[in-house]
Amino acid sequence: MAPDRETAARNAGRSRSARLAARLAHVDRRLIFVVVGLAVALPLIFPLNLPIQSSREARAYFDALEGLEAGDEIIFSFDYEPDTMAELDPMSMATLRHAFRRGIQVVALTNYAGGAGIAERVLSEVAAEYDRTYGVDYVFLGYNPDYSATMLRMGESIQRTFPTDHYRTPTDELPLLQEVDRYAEIELLVTVTASALAEYWIIWAGGKYGQRIIAGNTAIQAVLIYPYFQAGQLDGFLGGLKGAAEYERMIEVDGAGVRGMDAQSSAHVLIVLFILLGNIGYFLQRRAERAEGSQ
Amino acid sequence: MWDTVGLWVGGILTVAIFSLLYRDNPFYRAAEHLLVGVSAGYYVVHYFYSSVIRKFYVPVFQQGDLWLLPGGLLGLLVLFRLSRRWQWVSRYAIAFYVAAWSGYLIPSVVQERVLAQVASTIPASPSSENTYAFLMGMLVLVGVVSILVYFYFSAPHRGLLGRISQVGITFLMIGFGASFGYTVMGRVSLLIGRFQYLLQELPATLR
Repeated sequence: MAPDRETAARNAGRSRSARLAARLAHVDRRLIFVVVGLAVALPLIFPLNLPIQSSREARAYFDALEGLEAGDEIIFSFDYEPDTMAELDPMSMATLRHAFRRGIQVVALTNYAGGAGIAERVLSEVAAEYDRTYGVDYVFLGYNPDYSATMLRMGESIQRTFPTDHYRTPTDELPLLQEVDRYAEIELLVTVTASALAEYWIIWAGGKYGQRIIAGNTAIQAVLIYPYFQAGQLDGFLGGLKGAAEYERMIEVDGAGVRGMDAQSSAHVLIVLFILLGNIGYFLQRRAERAEGSQ
Repeated sequence: MWDTVGLWVGGILTVAIFSLLYRDNPFYRAAEHLLVGVSAGYYVVHYFYSSVIRKFYVPVFQQGDLWLLPGGLLGLLVLFRLSRRWQWVSRYAIAFYVAAWSGYLIPSVVQERVLAQVASTIPASPSSENTYAFLMGMLVLVGVVSILVYFYFSAPHRGLLGRISQVGITFLMIGFGASFGYTVMGRVSLLIGRFQYLLQELPATLR
């Protein structure tokens, strides 16, 4: 090839890659939103039924509840508000289904003002499924301000921490709370949380009173929770919607977690593709800039 | 009937919030202002009832539990912040709160977040049953030590110190990557929740 034609061909190749890089760098963000929306919506309409593998921490969470006997009591804390319901409601539903199915009694509360409505809805829905009676099989203590003081005081007396339940019934009149009144009489504490409250349960209930704890967390919080599981301060935990799906599979009751996993997987594949495309665009652009600089 | 109406109002508001993805518009603005207003009202009432009424007014004035009175009065001092002249009075309440909680919190946090974590970085002795656990324990130990070396700033990071801190950076990057991955998963989960609401729960009300 003649030198001038070779240079022209190289320049044409460079300009093509420069154009491609510019296109990749200036993709209309609304196009990305539409594609992500389709990647989430289509698997919900047409399920793919992709396999779900269970993790060590989810198995430990399941085993902690599975190891209890009928008539044992657990504390269940709804430590989240409506903004994270999508991730955490499936965990709460699955945990309560597991507990009620095994005849375990539940003392529920929330450390968030916005969690009271969620707790009422989830408790009444799952209790109705298993025909459980309020006051005998489960109670809802409601919201108490200042979570640290609440966690500490429950180690001494649940009735003094919550003189009345969420419905203003004196707690000393509730049959379930006549049997248990402090951590020492509770077999397991479950917190489903979108914040660092699992860490505070570990500090106050776990560290000070030796209470066994398992936690359901949002995906963002899960990274911060691993060290506590590794250190044995948590008996098990679930991370994000994936954790909820694993747990639903273990208790053999598919819910919103399992139904959302296909959409989660397709969205992740798409995001990995976007990251790859973004990097290709970046390197092409850098190469084009270098080529322009050398001319 | 009202549950169905509530579900459809929720659906309309979800679409209104999603419309911001196209561009700013009056529907998005209306939904946003409604969210802020309703949230503010809900939390003011909830906090006032559960703190002032349930924890102070009822025990003190209806049940005669006068031990709570000094705490309640101390809490009232915080309201002096609203006056420029008298705002110094509020510092007594804040000082009491900070001192009491520091005393409560510091030993427990050091025990559970520092000492227990340090103890768990020491791997259990190897045996034929727990070789995998031992190797994972060693990995944690190497990661913790190299990251601590990376954050040691009293000597230049050259030679052996530099190489160890490079290992620390690698562990940090893996940690940040895992954290980012989990964040993406969390955000996608929230989107899935809204789509399940729009595509599964709402159509179910029509059946």
